[in-house]
Amino acid sequence: MIFSTLEHILTHISFSVVSIVITIHLITLLVDEIVGLYDSSSKGMIATFFCITGLLVTRWIYLGHFPLSDLYESLIFLSWSFSIIHIVPYLKKHKNHLSALTAPSAIFTQGFATSGLLTEIHQSEILVPALQSQWLMMHVSMMVLGYAALLCGSLLSVALLVITFRQDIKILCSFSFDEIQYMNKGNNVLQNTSFLSVRNYYKAQFIQQLDHWSYRVISLGFLFLTIGILSGTVWANEAWGSYWNWDPKKTWAFITWTIFAIYLHTRTNKNLQVENSAIVASMGFLIIFICYFGVNLLGIGLHSYGSFTFSSNL
Amino acid sequence: MYTLKPSFSKTLFLKSPLLRSSFKPQFFPYTTQISSPCSSTPLSFSITCKLKTSEDGKSSKSLAKKIVLSEGAPAVSEDGAGNGEAQPKPASKGGGGGGGFGGLVKRFPRKVLSRLSNLPLAIGEMFTVAALMALGTAIDQGEAPDYYFQKFPEDNPVLGFFTWRWVLTLGFDHMFSSPIFLGMLALLATSLMACTYTTQIPLVKVARRWNFLHSAEAIRKQEFSESLPKASVRDLGVVLMGAGYEVFLKGPSLYAFKGLAGRFAPIGVHLAMLLIMVGGTLSATGSFRGSVTVPQGLNFVMGDVLSPSGFLSTPTKAFDTEVHVNRFYMDYYDSGEVLQFHTDLSLFDLNGKEVMRKTISVNDPLRFDGITIYQTDWSFSALQIRKDDEGPFNLAMAPLKLNGDKKLFGTFLPVGDSDSPNVKGISMLARDLQSIVLYDKEGKFAGVRRPNSNLPIDIDGTRIVIEDAIGSSGLDLKTDPGVPIVYAGFGALMLTTCISYLSHTQIWALQDGTTVVIGGKTNRAKLEFPDEMNQLLDRVPELVESSLSKQSDAISG
Repeated sequence: MIFSTLEHILTHISFSVVSIVITIHLITLLVDEIVGLYDSSSKGMIATFFCITGLLVTRWIYLGHFPLSDLYESLIFLSWSFSIIHIVPYLKKHKNHLSALTAPSAIFTQGFATSGLLTEIHQSEILVPALQSQWLMMHVSMMVLGYAALLCGSLLSVALLVITFRQDIKILCSFSFDEIQYMNKGNNVLQNTSFLSVRNYYKAQFIQQLDHWSYRVISLGFLFLTIGILSGTVWANEAWGSYWNWDPKKTWAFITWTIFAIYLHTRTNKNLQVENSAIVASMGFLIIFICYFGVNLLGIGLHSYGSFTFSSNL
Repeated sequence: MYTLKPSFSKTLFLKSPLLRSSFKPQFFPYTTQISSPCSSTPLSFSITCKLKTSEDGKSSKSLAKKIVLSEGAPAVSEDGAGNGEAQPKPASKGGGGGGGFGGLVKRFPRKVLSRLSNLPLAIGEMFTVAALMALGTAIDQGEAPDYYFQKFPEDNPVLGFFTWRWVLTLGFDHMFSSPIFLGMLALLATSLMACTYTTQIPLVKVARRWNFLHSAEAIRKQEFSESLPKASVRDLGVVLMGAGYEVFLKGPSLYAFKGLAGRFAPIGVHLAMLLIMVGGTLSATGSFRGSVTVPQGLNFVMGDVLSPSGFLSTPTKAFDTEVHVNRFYMDYYDSGEVLQFHTDLSLFDLNGKEVMRKTISVNDPLRFDGITIYQTDWSFSALQIRKDDEGPFNLAMAPLKLNGDKKLFGTFLPVGDSDSPNVKGISMLARDLQSIVLYDKEGKFAGVRRPNSNLPIDIDGTRIVIEDAIGSSGLDLKTDPGVPIVYAGFGALMLTTCISYLSHTQIWALQDGTTVVIGGKTNRAKLEFPDEMNQLLDRVPELVESSLSKQSDAISG
């Protein structure tokens, strides 16, 4: 009994801390740079990390098996991975903008997990025989970590695309404005373009940073995804005698792997590096969503453990 | 081109390289034109290098070889013996192995190879494969043609044009074994091989040759460049060594690198993928599979159950083994759910001698002589009852269809005249082997009994005692020769993907008077590189006046 209360407490603490962190980030982004609060938001994320870790450990002890057997638990694990990804650059003293992405993602997953949609899965489930294996830990944890990293990287690429195209739109508008101006007064053109170029410089720098971070995070996520897929395949061979059977979830994991392999290959060509790879990564974001949630909604195939129904209150 | 100067050089090795014999010092900068990796335009290198046949520089014989690697050029003149590594290979990409053919025939495979190793083509292939796989999950696989007639009717086509004709002619109903999909995979495999051979292997050769840059301008042109006034290049070398670099110092110039494995690893990734594909092909064509449900107490011969999957499948001697199911039992949670199911198996050879005995369960298979038996399923075979102290009778249990994973089995004991069309009787239902639910002639619930309790139940005047519930074990048998290869490929893939995350960093430095000019570049961790370099450079000590003159004397002398 004490464990479930502990679980509840930890869940609520982590949820509230993350929402505070989000609020702070939004304030700094939209209103003003409040330097003193930046530290506290990082510390808030660390507190969240510890809370979720405690939650997972509690659940592990309570259930007797590694807490990754159904959708609810994997969502908790996903938000834990997001908080880890947030913390690692902080520990390496890289002041960067990833935090603006990982924190909201963590809270959304956490919120979704604890929301009313999944109430009937809240109660801890028992493991069916097929899941009672050491491979469970390695395969599912690697997959969820990989998905978290890839989601972060793809979100960064989406942000990159948004900024690039906003920039293009702005340039287009300002060019037309310049033409009109040029026709009227010749001098102002120079002023406008120089002002633009200063702003463009910062934007270009920011884009480069986003691009680089997206690349590094996606490479890491790709690594985890590879290990996860391969360990799942080996596990399937040990359990059912066939290491590949075109199960929908497996196939979609393979599709995700292929898309991100394409991403890594588009980066070798120097000319069209940035935009093309960002487009590919954004596609990857959609595909991960389909892979993780869509297949579960269908509830078919060998991976049907993760499925859930919406008719929770009937 | 470049003039060759036979000269001795004091090459200082501050840290001996791991692959010493294969590093050859180069005294002249080389030019390479690599327009883009994996493109259809040819690579042309011009490398001039000087070899030392003995490592301490005592020998006066220095062989000069000019290695020209370009598409049309014939072999370069060879000067006697040298190290094996430096044998000039005209890197003719196609017919390099068979030298007997004419020039035209040699050129054709080369052209094909260079077309195949085009990167956009490979990316397009990967996209196509991914799209086909997605389509394969969207369209239900392996159904009868009727299903597709209904789902994709001609008079109301999906997306305006997609009718069942598309599905069946293109083979989308069995997507993952259809010619289109397999053809695409084969094309991808050939692209992979072509790309590895033509582009990545030469890149390895380039990356492994280290070279010194001799002019400060060349160094300053690097991605990251700095100059340290009042420093010595040797101190820089020591600092770099401490940071894990391999450092080579020659006179005033320095070259250091780290993380070379990161350059090789992508080749390893591609090779691992090829290995997996080969193993997968072997599995698809050379394995045997079979599935059987055996009631407790019965047996079967392996060969009867296994069926081949492709043209390479050949049965082995182990197929004559007889498998006997000694006992099948299940474990349950306290809540009544199934925890695990076990089968006690004995294997007998042709002479009737028991060769193996093992209790298997899910995730714990039996392996014998290349054949593996997995526990995958269970079923309810028969219910053993005693009716009015007669019997025991075995009533076969039939599976009843339910939605979801739960199973339901039922049987029927007729009461009264069993030949009349409206025969009534006692129904017995069970979800698992634990408890049986009994219903009377009208279908009303009568009671629940556990098989081993031997408690009688009276229904409609009949006394029933449930003695035993006989389960049957669902076993899957498999023999697969491709598995070791595939596992090897998996291990290699995991390892090489890990290693390819490393970043290959190269640093050049030149002592220009009392200033050291440093330049460097890295291929992956680009953003962190300047910070890392600055941290390293901060550690290089600044020289004070008195030692400065000594340093410059030592270096210029």
